[in-house]
Amino acid sequence: MELEARHEYREELAQLERRALDGLQLVVASLDRTVEAVRHQDIELAELVIADDDVIDGRYLEIHQAILTLLATQAPVATDLRLIAALLHVMKNIERMGDQCVNIAKLIPIAGHQPPADERVVGNLVTMGNAIRAQIRQAKRAFAERDVEMARDLVRQDDVVDNLNRECFQLAIEIGDDHDRREWAMTMMLVARALERIGDNAVDIGEQVAFVVTGLFREFEDASHPGGVVEPQRSP
Amino acid sequence: MNYEPSELNVADPEERTTPRIPGRAESPTPSPASPGGAERTSRVEALHATRRVRLERLNAYYGDNHAVRDLDLTFEPGHVTAIIGPSGCGKSTMVRCVNRMHEEIPGARSEGRVLLDDVDLHGARVDVVAVRRLVGMVFQKANPFPTMSIFDNVAAGLRFVGTSRDEVTDRVSAALEDAGLWSEVQGRLSNPGMSLSGGQQQRLCIARALAVEPEVLLMDEPCSALDPVATLKIEELIGQLKEKVTIAVVTHNMQQAGRVADTTAFMLDGELVEVGPTDKMFTNPDDDRTEQYVTGKFG
Amino acid sequence: MEAGQGPIHPLLVQSANLRRRRAVNRAMEISAWVAAILAVGVLALVVGSVAVKGISSISIDFLTSNTTNFGPGGGIGNAIVGTGILVGVATLMAVPVGILVAIYTSEFAGPRSGFAIRYALDILAGVPTIVIGVFIFGLLVYGHQQTGYAASIALAIVMLPLVARSCHEVLTLVPETVKEAGLALGASRWRTTLSVVVPTALSGMITGALLAVARAAGETAPLLLLSSIFPDLVQTDPSTALPNIPVTIFRYSEAPEPAKHAQAWGAALVLILFVLAISVVARALSARSRRRLGAAR
Repeated sequence: MELEARHEYREELAQLERRALDGLQLVVASLDRTVEAVRHQDIELAELVIADDDVIDGRYLEIHQAILTLLATQAPVATDLRLIAALLHVMKNIERMGDQCVNIAKLIPIAGHQPPADERVVGNLVTMGNAIRAQIRQAKRAFAERDVEMARDLVRQDDVVDNLNRECFQLAIEIGDDHDRREWAMTMMLVARALERIGDNAVDIGEQVAFVVTGLFREFEDASHPGGVVEPQRSP
Repeated sequence: MNYEPSELNVADPEERTTPRIPGRAESPTPSPASPGGAERTSRVEALHATRRVRLERLNAYYGDNHAVRDLDLTFEPGHVTAIIGPSGCGKSTMVRCVNRMHEEIPGARSEGRVLLDDVDLHGARVDVVAVRRLVGMVFQKANPFPTMSIFDNVAAGLRFVGTSRDEVTDRVSAALEDAGLWSEVQGRLSNPGMSLSGGQQQRLCIARALAVEPEVLLMDEPCSALDPVATLKIEELIGQLKEKVTIAVVTHNMQQAGRVADTTAFMLDGELVEVGPTDKMFTNPDDDRTEQYVTGKFG
Repeated sequence: MEAGQGPIHPLLVQSANLRRRRAVNRAMEISAWVAAILAVGVLALVVGSVAVKGISSISIDFLTSNTTNFGPGGGIGNAIVGTGILVGVATLMAVPVGILVAIYTSEFAGPRSGFAIRYALDILAGVPTIVIGVFIFGLLVYGHQQTGYAASIALAIVMLPLVARSCHEVLTLVPETVKEAGLALGASRWRTTLSVVVPTALSGMITGALLAVARAAGETAPLLLLSSIFPDLVQTDPSTALPNIPVTIFRYSEAPEPAKHAQAWGAALVLILFVLAISVVARALSARSRRRLGAAR
C-alpha cells in the first residue's frame, strides 16, 4: 500500500469543495421554484422557497465550520490556502443568492392572487431566470474545472441579464394608468432587481476562480469602472 | 565590527591584537552580576548587520556525490533567510560551505564563490579560521563544551583569540543578554553548561557564537531537537537578532520558516528551485515544485 | 475472572515447544551463572590466599626496613621506593608519548596511516615482556651495567601501547558535534583538540594511564634482566640498578628459609593491594568520564 503524503487531508479538501459547490445546486433548485412561483403567482410554492432557505443556510454554516477546522489543524498553504479562502467567499455568495430567492418569494403575496397583469413582463422574468440558471451552472463548472476563460465569460452573460433587467424597467413604465397593474409591475421590477443580484453573485464566484488559479484578485467588472479590469488598491 | 573582511588574508590570526569596538566607553572591571548601562548601550549600537552574503555558482561534492549544484543565492543584511527543502536536498551542505565547515569532512570539496560583501571567503589565500570568526554557526543539536561552565562556554571563542580578561567578562554578559539567557543564568555562571535544559543549552550555543561578534549567523535546524515552547523562544530571539547579524536558517519546518523568515529559498536535489519573499512563497509560489513541496504533496 | 478458570485462548495454552524452550533457558542461565562464579572464584582464591599467607608479614617495620639476604628481619622498604621510581620514570616517558600518539591517530591521521599505527601498537602490546627485556639488555646493558633507566625504558615500552590504545578509544568517543562546535567558533584543529577534545576525554585518558601504571608496577621479566642486581639499601639514582618489588618477590621465594617465603607473600600482598587500589580509582574515573560523554551525545 502506497503511503501518499497527506492523503486524508487531500480527501478532506476535495470533499469540502464538492459540498460547497453542491450548494449551487441547491440555489438552482430554489431559483427554479421561485421563477415558477412568480409565473403562476403561487403563494404555497413561495412559502416552500422561504422554508427551504434553511437548508442553504445550514450548508453555509457546515462549510464555514469545516474550513475553520481545516485551517486550524492542517495549516494549508499556497493553492490549498487560496482555495479555502475562495470557498469562504463562494459560500457567502451562495447564501446571498438564497436570500435573494427568499426576497423574491416574499414579494409574491404582495402582488396578489390574481393572474399576472402582463404576460410580457412575466416572460421577461422567466427569460432572466433561465439566463441566470445557466450562469450559475457555468460558474459551478468554471470553479470545479478551474477554467478562467469560462469564468470571464460570465461577465458577458451578466450583460444579457442587465439588458433584460432594463427591459423589465421599460415595460413597467409603459404598463399604463391602472393602479393595480402599476403596483404589480413595480413589484415585478423588484423581482427583476433581485434576479439581477443573483447574477452578480455568480460573476463574483467567477472572480474567485481567477484568484485560485492566478493568486491575483481582480474584479472582472466594477460598477465604478464599467467594462474594464481593476486592480485592488493597496493601502499605503 | 570585529574584523574587516580585508583582514582575512593574514597568515596567523593569533598575532592580531584585540580590536577596539567603536563607541565603547572605558569602564572599571564590571562583575558579571551587573553588565552596566552605559557601555551596554554602545555595545548594542556597535552590533549592526551590514554584510551581504552572496553565493555564486556554488558546487559542493562528497567524493563523487554532487550535493549542491550551481547555486546562486543572497542573504541580505538585516534579514532572515530561511532555506527549506526535503531531506538530502543539500541545504545543510550549502550552509556549511559558507563558513567552510564543509571542507572539514574527508573527501568533501567545493567550487564557486562565497562573497561576504566583496571578499571571496573561499579565496586561495584566505584564512579559514578568520572566516569562521566572521561567520558563526549554531547546530541542530545543542553542543556546549561538556567540561566547561556556562561562563567558560560563552567565553571559549574569545579565549581562543587571547582576548583580555576584562573584555571577556563584558562580552560574555553582553552575549548572554543578546541570547535572552542572562536573566536565567546570571546567578550561576559557574555551573556546568550541560546542567541547562535543552532550550537553554541551545541559547547558550547562540550566546557562544555571538560572543565573538560575527557578521553572519548560520543556523542549521536550530529547533529540531527542542520542544514547542523552547522553539518559540528561539524564534523570538531570531527576530530580535536580525538587526545585529545577517541570519540564515535551515529548517525542515515550514511553519517555522513562515514565522521567522523574511525571505525563503526552496532547494531540491542540490538545486535552488525558487527564492522569494516568504509570504509569496507560501501563498502563491511561481514554481510548481515549490507548490508541491509546500502543500505537502511530497517530501 | 481468576486465572485458571474459564476458557483459555488456544494460543496461550502451554505447548511442549514452550516447555522445552523453558528448559533450555534454565540450562543456559545455570551454566552462565556457574562460569561467572568460577571466574570470580579464581580472583577470590588468588587474592585470598595471598592475603592469608602474606598478612602476617605486614607491619610498619616490614614496609620501612630494607631488604636482607637472609633471616626473618628486614622488609621491602627500599624495594617500594625503587619500584616507585622505576614506574614513575616509565610513566613520564610512556604517558605523554602515548597521549600524543593517540591524539594523532584519532584526530589527524588519515584512515590508512591511523590504522597502520594502531595495528603496530597492537602487535607491540603482544610482544612478550621477556623479549622486550632482552632487547633492552642487548641495547643498553650488555657490556655495561644494569641501570634503572634501562628498566624504566623497558617498562615504558610495555606501557606505551596500553596508554595509546585506551586514549585513542576515549578520544574517538568524544562526539563529532563537540569538535564541530570548536571548529565553527574559529579555533584551529590543534586548538580544538587541546582546548576542547582532550579535556572532554581527560578522565578516560587518566584511567588508561592508571591501568598502564598498574600493569607496569607488576612486570617482572624485564626487571630480572635490567634491574636485578642491587644492594639492600635505598637507592634513588636511576643510573644504577634500583631495588624493586617483583625481583624481591622472586629472590625471597627462591631463598631456602621459610621466613623469606613469608616475606615474599607479604611483598606479593603489597603489590596486589597497590594494583587493586589503582583499579578502583581508575574505574571510578571511568564512570565519571562515561557519564560526561553520555550527556554530551
